[in-house]
Amino acid sequence: MRESQVAARTLRGSATAIAFFLIVVPILIVVVVAFSPNEYFEFPPAGFSWRWFVEFFRLANMRGAFALSVELALLAATLATVFGTLGALYLARRRGTVAALLQSLFLAPLVFPTIILGVALLLMYKTIGMPVFPGLLLAHCIVGLPYAFRTALASAQTLDPALEEAGQSLGAGPLRTLFLLTLPLIWQGVLSGWLFAFIVSFGELNTALFLTGPGLTTLPIEIFSYLQFQGSQLVIAAASTLQIALIVILVATIERVVGLGRIIRAR
Amino acid sequence: MNDAQADVRLAAVTKSFGPVVAVDNVDLEIRRGTIFSLLGPSGCGKTTTLRLIAGFERPDAGEVYIRGERVTSIPPYRRNFSMVFQSYALFPHLNVSENVAFGLRMRGMARADRARAVNDALELVKLDALADRYPRQLSGGQQQRVALARAIVIRPAVLLLDEPLGALDKMLREEMQIELRSLQQRLGITAVFVTHDQEEALTLSDQVAVMRNGVIEQTGPPREIYDRPRTEFVAGFLGASNFLAGTVVALEGGTAIVETPAGRASLLADSRIGDRVRIAIRPERLRMMRDDGLGLPARIRDIVYRGPVTHFYMDSAGGPLLSYQQNAGAQDWSVGDAVRCTWDPESAVVLDSGCA
Amino acid sequence: MRTPWASVLLVPPLAMILLFFVAPVLYLFWVSLHEASSSELYGAALTVQNYVGVLGDSFYLAIIRRTLGVAAVILGLCVLIGYPVAYFVALQPPRRRMLVLLLLLFPLMVSNVVRAYGWVAILGRRGVLNTSLGSLGLIDGPLDLLYTIPAVVVGLMTILLPYMVISIANTLATLDRSYEEAAQALGASPFRTFLHVTLPLSTPGVASGTLLVLLLTLSAYVTITLLGGPRSKLLVSMIYDGVTAFQWPHAAALAFILLALALALTALILSVLRPGRVQGTGR
Repeated sequence: MRESQVAARTLRGSATAIAFFLIVVPILIVVVVAFSPNEYFEFPPAGFSWRWFVEFFRLANMRGAFALSVELALLAATLATVFGTLGALYLARRRGTVAALLQSLFLAPLVFPTIILGVALLLMYKTIGMPVFPGLLLAHCIVGLPYAFRTALASAQTLDPALEEAGQSLGAGPLRTLFLLTLPLIWQGVLSGWLFAFIVSFGELNTALFLTGPGLTTLPIEIFSYLQFQGSQLVIAAASTLQIALIVILVATIERVVGLGRIIRAR
Repeated sequence: MNDAQADVRLAAVTKSFGPVVAVDNVDLEIRRGTIFSLLGPSGCGKTTTLRLIAGFERPDAGEVYIRGERVTSIPPYRRNFSMVFQSYALFPHLNVSENVAFGLRMRGMARADRARAVNDALELVKLDALADRYPRQLSGGQQQRVALARAIVIRPAVLLLDEPLGALDKMLREEMQIELRSLQQRLGITAVFVTHDQEEALTLSDQVAVMRNGVIEQTGPPREIYDRPRTEFVAGFLGASNFLAGTVVALEGGTAIVETPAGRASLLADSRIGDRVRIAIRPERLRMMRDDGLGLPARIRDIVYRGPVTHFYMDSAGGPLLSYQQNAGAQDWSVGDAVRCTWDPESAVVLDSGCA
Repeated sequence: MRTPWASVLLVPPLAMILLFFVAPVLYLFWVSLHEASSSELYGAALTVQNYVGVLGDSFYLAIIRRTLGVAAVILGLCVLIGYPVAYFVALQPPRRRMLVLLLLLFPLMVSNVVRAYGWVAILGRRGVLNTSLGSLGLIDGPLDLLYTIPAVVVGLMTILLPYMVISIANTLATLDRSYEEAAQALGASPFRTFLHVTLPLSTPGVASGTLLVLLLTLSAYVTITLLGGPRSKLLVSMIYDGVTAFQWPHAAALAFILLALALALTALILSVLRPGRVQGTGR
C-alpha cells in the first residue's frame, strides 16, 4: 500500500512538472528572445538589448496595432461590463426556466466557436454596411460579455437581499438602491469581470481575423501576419513580450485592489 | 376602531406562493402607539403578513392601509414605515452614522439636521461612542441597536421588526426586550413584530395575533391569549395546557357542569346542555388535593423538579394531566400517589371546536 | 428587482446578444442554404448543395477525419496529463493552491498567437530544439518538426492543458473528503478508492474540461495555421479559405458542419461520462 501511494505521488509530481514545463517554456522563450541583441533568432541570446523594443515602437504599423488593441480592449471591456452587470443584476434573484435560459444565452459566447462568430459577423456587417471599428468593437463586446456577466452575477448573488429591502424600507427607490447600495457592494466582482473582458479582447484573434481592415489591425493579428509571411521574428518577440507585460501589470494592479481569491474564483 | 386610531389595517388580505396559501383572507387592525406581535410556528404566514405591510410582497386580494391611506399598490420605498431585519441588514460599506443617516438622506434632510438627528438616535440606543465604526466591527447586540436606531430616526408611522432578537443569546435578548419596550413607549411609535417565541410575544406586546397556516386564530392582549385561549392550537402554542373532552350536563348561573371521562368538572361557559366541548386548563391553575374529596381522580406518574416549580405528570381517566406546583413549602407527593385535581371555574376555558 | 424597472436591466444585454450573436449566426445559416454567386454575397436560389457537396466530397471527408483525429488525440493527452496535475493541485493547501491556479491561469491570458509563436521558436528549423540537438551532436541536420500535424497536436495540447487542469482541479478540490474516507473504512485500497469513488465523482470536472478543450480545438485557426502550415489543414482552415475566396454559402455550410460536429461530439462525451448522475440530474 505504501508503494502505490509513492507511485501515485511520483506520477502526480512528474506530470505536474512536465505540464508546467510544456506550458510555460514556450512563453519564457519568447520573452527571453525579445531581449536578443542580434538580427537572427538564437536561444539563448548572445547578450541583452532593448533594440527590438525600440524597433517595435519605431514601426508605425506596430505602434498603430498596439494602440488600437489597447483602445479596443478598453472600450470593449467597458461595454461588456456595463451590459454584463445589467444582465447580472436582472438575473441575480430570478429562478425558473426563463431565467436559466437567459443565463445560458449570456454565457453562450464562451462555448460558441468564436471563429464562426467572426464569419457570421463579417457577413452581416457586409450586408448592412457596418464600419470597421464599431463592428470590431461590438464583436469584442460579445466575446467579453460572458466574463463580465459571470463575475458580476456571482457578486450579486452573494449579496444579502435584505440589504436592498432595508434600503427600500428607508425610502430608497430602485435607482438610488442601485447606485448607493448594490453597485458599491458588488464593485469588486464587476471590476474582475472588466479585467477578464479586457484581457480577452486584448488577445482576441478569431473574430479580429475577419473583422479588421486595411489600416486597422490589432496587435495579435499583426503578430500573426508577420509570422505567417516570415517577417522579422524578433520584433514579434518584443511585441509579444509587451503584450505579456501589459497583462501582468493589469492583473497585479487589480489583484491589489480586489484580492487574489476573487480573480481565481471568477475563472 | 376608525382609521384615525388605526395605524395599520389589513382588509381581507390573501397571498399565495404557487399552490401554498401563505396568508388566507386576513383582517387586522393595529392601534396607534401599540406594540403588536404576530406569533406562530414557522410557515404560519407571520413573516409574509409583515412583508405585506411593508410592501415587499403584493397581496393577491385585499387591501393594506397605513394611517388610513390605501397603500396596497404603493411600492415600499414610498410607504411610511421602516423595518428592522432579522439579519439587521446594515450596509457594510457605510459606517454606523452613515447607516443611521441613510433614511434621512433619502428624505432630503439637510446635513446639519441629519447629524443632529443621528446623534440623538444613537444616544437613545446608547451607541453614540461607536458612530464611526463599521458594521463588521460591532457585536451582534450592537448591530441590532444600530439597525433599530436607523429605523426609528426617520419617525415612521409604523415600525416593523422581523424576529429582531432571534440571533441574540438569552441574557442579551431579555435585556433588549426591556429596552425595546421602553423605547417604543418613549417614542410612541406603532410597532409590529414577528416572532416564534411565545415568551417574547407575551413580554413585549400590547396585542398578540396567533397565526397558523395563514389564518389568525386569535387576537388579543397577552393575558387574554394566555388565560382564555380560544382554540387548542393557541392553548398549546403559548405554553403547556391540559385538555379534557366532555359533555355539558347542567348549567348553574354562568357555570356549566361538564361530564368528562375523569369525572365532573365545573367552569365558566355559555354553552348549552348537551354540547360536546373540549376544555383547557393551565397547569399552574390545576390544584392537587388529597384523595378524599372533590375533584378529578388521577395518579402521579412522574415528578420533575424545576427549581421554582415542580412539574407533576399524572394520568386520569380523561387523559394525561400536568400540574405545576410552586416550591414554596414542603411537598410530600410521591410517584404513584392518588390525588384529586381541581381548579377555579374561571381558570378553565372552552375551546372552539371548529378550529382544533 | 421585481419592479417593472427590471426590464431596463434586461433589455440592453439581451438586445446586444440577440443582435450581434444570435442574429448573425442565424443569418449565416440562412446564407448556407443559398447558391453561390460571383457578383453578390450569395445567390438567390435555395439549395442544400453546399452541405451535400462537402459531405459527399472525399477531400472534405478526409479533412473532417483528420480534424476528428487531431481532436481525439489532443483530448486524450489533455485528460491523461491534466488529471494527475489537477489531482496534485487539488491536494495543495488552499493558499498554495491559489498561487498554482494563478500560475496556470496566467498562460491562458496570453494571446494564443504568442503561445503558438513560442512553439514555432522551439520547433522551427533554427529553433531551440533543433539547435540544441544539433549542438549536442544528436542529429546531422535540422529536423522538419514544424508544419506537421504532430506540431499542431503538441502546440494545441499545451495551450489548452490549463483549461483541463483548472476544470478538474476545481471539482476535485470541492470533493467531500468523507467519500474517500468512507470507502477506505469499507476496505478499499487507495487505488480502488480512486478508481471507484474519486474518479467517478470527478466526472463533472472532466466533462466540462473535455468539452471546453474540444470546442477550442475545433476553432483554433491561428494555432493550426502557424504550426501546421499549408499542408496540415483542418476543417476550420477550410472555413477561413472559403471566406477569403468570397465563397460565402460554401464557407457558411462548412461552419455549420463544424458546429454539428461539435454538438455530436458533445453529446457523445456527455453520454460516455454522464456527469449528470453526479450532479444530481440523474441521467
